[in-house]
Amino acid sequence: MISNPHDSFTQGAVPGSAEETLLLIASLPAPNGLEERVEAVLRSAPRGGQVLPWPKTFRPASFHIDRPWLRVAAAAAIAFVVVGGGWGVYSRVERQQAAKVIVVPARPAATGGFSNAGAIRTPQTLNGPVLAQPADASSAANRPADATGKRSIKKKRRPAPAAKARNSAAATVAPGK
Amino acid sequence: MSASQAIYAGWMEIPRSAMVPEAPERAQEDALAALVHQYASTLYRVAFSALRNAHDAEDAVQEAFLRVLRHRDALGEVRNHRVWLIRIVWNIVLDRKRRAKTRPETDDVAELARVLPANGLSAEQRAAAAQHHAHVLGCVEKLPAKERQVLQLSAFDELSSVEIAAVLGITESSVRSRLFRARNLMAGLLNHARSLR
Repeated sequence: MISNPHDSFTQGAVPGSAEETLLLIASLPAPNGLEERVEAVLRSAPRGGQVLPWPKTFRPASFHIDRPWLRVAAAAAIAFVVVGGGWGVYSRVERQQAAKVIVVPARPAATGGFSNAGAIRTPQTLNGPVLAQPADASSAANRPADATGKRSIKKKRRPAPAAKARNSAAATVAPGK
Repeated sequence: MSASQAIYAGWMEIPRSAMVPEAPERAQEDALAALVHQYASTLYRVAFSALRNAHDAEDAVQEAFLRVLRHRDALGEVRNHRVWLIRIVWNIVLDRKRRAKTRPETDDVAELARVLPANGLSAEQRAAAAQHHAHVLGCVEKLPAKERQVLQLSAFDELSSVEIAAVLGITESSVRSRLFRARNLMAGLLNHARSLR
């Protein structure tokens, strides 16, 4: 049984004024032109995807075939075209051949020829400046070593400063003699 | 007709709906227009009872029908269009109320004074009535959400408890119990306000 809560609304504990308010609010009339405004909004709303209809001259209805044998013939023609086209493509396409191999002449075997005996070729570099050896170097090399086995290296003595001064004074006096 | 002929005839058959694509579209538009004319005012009143603002209520109604437009393919599957539409608009209203700030009572007074029928009342009497109604609505707003929703929907003559249950997605017994609690709470709130005066 469907009961209406509105029936018991007046019998409830809600005071009459509150009940009156709620009923008044619920029974307020809708503003004029509400339906028209809603329809205008619906008309201007973007629609979802739409399928474009065929032009009248190309409608499928114009190709409608009534006779059964014509339908069979049309189906056969379509099948012939599809199969024939497929066969044409298939027959023209070349089958994949094996990859061509370029024959490279074999190099002579290393075991049959001469070997390099482990020698490594080094490239020639530019000849740099050669340091000329002094002549004394050869005589010094021929000199015998000391008893200790060390070679005595004689340092060239430099003249003392007093002797140096004397020599220079004699040199200045001499022309005047 | 032989078996092969029958097969080919069925294979080559073009359905009527494919040849006339506009027909279902037009039927849906007509059905939608009929729904607008039949239920727009009901939806407006439902929306206004919760939002208490004419513009917001109208926006809610328009949004509800836009949602219907988006799902117009499912129109044929709906058994009770009225309850279905009220449920849509009620959900929109709840969304809007959730997002909006709490309405001050002065807004309600001004709006009610504007929309309430005059009924031969003077300007002062209308203002006093609007203030009283706004106070009652303020008490309604203080109710818990579940009880408040049932109380607001039960004020509509055209909604039975079964339909309220369908709109709110609850059982009919829940509607009854919530309505009972709402009335008791409402009486307490109004008595308390009266004692404070």
